Amino acid sequence: MDVRIDRVAVSYGSVDALRGVSIGASHGGSTVLVGPNGAGKSTLMSVVLGLLRPDRGEVLADGEVVACARHGATREFRARLGYLPEAVAFSENLTGRQVLRFFASARGVGRKRVEATLERVGLDGAAGRAVRGYSRGMRQRLGLGVAVLHTPDLLVLDEPTGGLDQEGLSVLWEVLAEWKAAGRSVLMSTHEIALVERHADTVCVLADGRVRAVATPDALRREAALPVRVSVELAEEAAAAQVASGLRDRHAGVEHEGRNVGLLERPEELLEVMRAVSLPTAPVRHVRVEEPGLDEVTLRILGGSRWDASPVH
Amino acid sequence: MGRVARALIVHELVERTRDRWVLVSTLLFALLAAGITLYGRSAADSEALVTAPSLVTLSSLLVPLVALVLGHDAIVGERERHTLGLLLSLPVSRGEVLLAKFVGRLLALGLAIGLGLGSAALLLGGAQRGLLLSLVPPTLLLGASFLSIGMLLSVMTRRHATAASLAVTTWFLLVFFYDLGLLALLVGTGGAIGQGAIAWLVHLNPAGLYRMTLMARLVGTGSLSDLGLAVALPGAAAQAAIWAAWIGGPLVVGAAMLLRRRAVTA
Repeated sequence: MDVRIDRVAVSYGSVDALRGVSIGASHGGSTVLVGPNGAGKSTLMSVVLGLLRPDRGEVLADGEVVACARHGATREFRARLGYLPEAVAFSENLTGRQVLRFFASARGVGRKRVEATLERVGLDGAAGRAVRGYSRGMRQRLGLGVAVLHTPDLLVLDEPTGGLDQEGLSVLWEVLAEWKAAGRSVLMSTHEIALVERHADTVCVLADGRVRAVATPDALRREAALPVRVSVELAEEAAAAQVASGLRDRHAGVEHEGRNVGLLERPEELLEVMRAVSLPTAPVRHVRVEEPGLDEVTLRILGGSRWDASPVH
Repeated sequence: MGRVARALIVHELVERTRDRWVLVSTLLFALLAAGITLYGRSAADSEALVTAPSLVTLSSLLVPLVALVLGHDAIVGERERHTLGLLLSLPVSRGEVLLAKFVGRLLALGLAIGLGLGSAALLLGGAQRGLLLSLVPPTLLLGASFLSIGMLLSVMTRRHATAASLAVTTWFLLVFFYDLGLLALLVGTGGAIGQGAIAWLVHLNPAGLYRMTLMARLVGTGSLSDLGLAVALPGAAAQAAIWAAWIGGPLVVGAAMLLRRRAVTA
């Protein structure tokens, strides 16, 4: 499903939660919403889910208006959505299987699919246990199971990594890969962009109800123009001092501590830095080149990055 | 009702029958009803005529409480568990969600009432079982009224604890203090308010209507007069209207509030 959010605006009294936001989630693509608390991520998801009617703007699915100021998201559209709320807590008295069976019967899905989904999210062994005995990660996996149960065309995930252990994260990554491979769409919000960036096709940075940037992760990195962090460990302290001195002639912000030299530099200058640290008299023991994560890129776009504050680790 | 609403009714019924508080209340009701019946059997020949009024009194106290307990967290509980958004993102209207939750919980309440009065009926002789079983429909109406009020509280409030406090307050007000308030009104006004008006005020309260109509049926209006409870019962149409207002009114108001609320999950 090709989903387009077009100039959506929402206000609560005098507070503008969304101010004309436009983004898309295309076939086989995943769009990740990032931004500080109060940026408008949840409000935007609520509009898509039909929990909130926008004041202005539209949501289009495959070119058809499915939500606008006159009506919230239509039933037909909602039937094609799967939703994982943040920190979902299903009824403690029911078993995981009972929870999934309810959503299966509400969605018109057979029991075989329930069992397959339990297996998919790794809860087949705990399906008969009451939810009260589930860990936070297991509850999150159950929520993921509810979201994917009816193989929706659009998966809406609110903080999907919250509480997930390594096994849970693996399940999540597999589901995301499966969704993209099948040409279905994913819209998710997260505070842990560094964790999900490998699975993001488009990242939308929201702040104060506005889109501050929307692009692929690579394009965002270019836009943020953050330097890479280079850390070099040499065999001898004297050699490190010599390298630091040589680098200082051409580069700013070079730091030197013992046998370690560090600096921040634009990626295109990397080869020149490497040439400068290659002294014939003292071998280089270790080199580390660190790219800024998308969390730092996002912070830079929002004006709060401290990436370039300390080059030496 | 659509597929989602039907699934929700079953889900609510299953979930409620696993709720510890509902189970405890149901068990308490059944035990007290059985206890009253056993006591009635030992006390008189015509046990049903002794037992039934006592069961009406018991039901008028316990059933509203169980119903309020069942209803008060219907929406606010989902909101606190972050599942309300999930529920409302299904292809179903908000009104249907509220109605389905009401029906599912009413079925659970019906089971509790059936178990309580049914256990009492089982302990009685065959001929008098019918009399006790005839208490089930009006008791269900009483329960439905308070369940509906509980559902409204669950829509109105933002926190489960607030809904629970309001539910208990409502129970005290309508079940305990209402009649005392009317008595105070009667005494305080020196009888300026006529008995007819007071009777109407009694019957406007679902707990009062339940008690008075069943007592009149079980012991006769003559006996009520002897007890100083000589009140003219409302006609069948008026009774139906009062029940409809108490059952439908809070639900309609709740549905309207749910529909009007913008950030429903907040």
